[in-house]
Amino acid sequence: MALRLTLQVQLVLQALLRDPVREMYGLELSEETGLQPGTAYPILLRLEHEGWVASRWEDIDPRAEKRPARRYYRLTAGGAVQASAALQAARRPKGTALRRLAEGGGTA
Amino acid sequence: MMPAIDPREERRKKRGRAAALIGSGTIIVSSVFQPGWWILGTDPKNWVLFAAGTVASTAVAASADMPRSRGRGSARGSGRGTGRGSGPTGHGRDDDQGLAGAAAHRWRVLAMVSRLMPRSAGARWLAEAESLLSEIAPVRRGAAIRSYLLTAPRLAVAMWVRELLRLARLGPRRPG
Repeated sequence: MALRLTLQVQLVLQALLRDPVREMYGLELSEETGLQPGTAYPILLRLEHEGWVASRWEDIDPRAEKRPARRYYRLTAGGAVQASAALQAARRPKGTALRRLAEGGGTA
Repeated sequence: MMPAIDPREERRKKRGRAAALIGSGTIIVSSVFQPGWWILGTDPKNWVLFAAGTVASTAVAASADMPRSRGRGSARGSGRGTGRGSGPTGHGRDDDQGLAGAAAHRWRVLAMVSRLMPRSAGARWLAEAESLLSEIAPVRRGAAIRSYLLTAPRLAVAMWVRELLRLARLGPRRPG
């Protein structure tokens, strides 16, 4: 199934693309995108199923750290390319529509 | 981490819920299908009695699932090894705001909702929610839990679809 590039998906991709090799965990992503964690989670899952994102559990001793392990997400090599292309494509129609409006005053 | 739950207490609650449910179900079904049943009949007094009984048994069933007050002897509040950051119950961060009861209740709802998903997906969803909620600022925790609960039904459907597709791809299991 093709990935629908909603505004929320775009926000998540933008956050991950800021530093494609950096791993980010759920809370970090939610703070960076302004999305609620419950909203960001299904998006990350979808991106992971599409192969754009890879994830792993943090390898820590929760008792020593006094917190549960985090789940880290990062863009895969192919995912980074696809994500930036998809974001560019998502921006393009708006630009085209605006240009058309400026040139001809719309189609009406 | 998962809140430490005493299995004996859980079993007792489960039995209480089941008994209340069976009781109220029996009353309702009997009254609907047997109008001449000895408790009801045509006397309005009996109907009031029936309604009160139903409300009471429903209340018992509902209260059996409520988190206990923060008594020191409570099974869930004791025996927790990690202290701070060990989940929304007991001596977790919610104690700062006196919200442990409500947070524990929401936590149980999250755990219940996770069972709507396929096992592995539900376990991962819950573990990730737990991890995130233990680190989020207490003022944002309620909204975060709500967001998890709001997106859970769609996620559960998507997960089941994915699981069924996966099983369909695998094909029927061959014995041996």
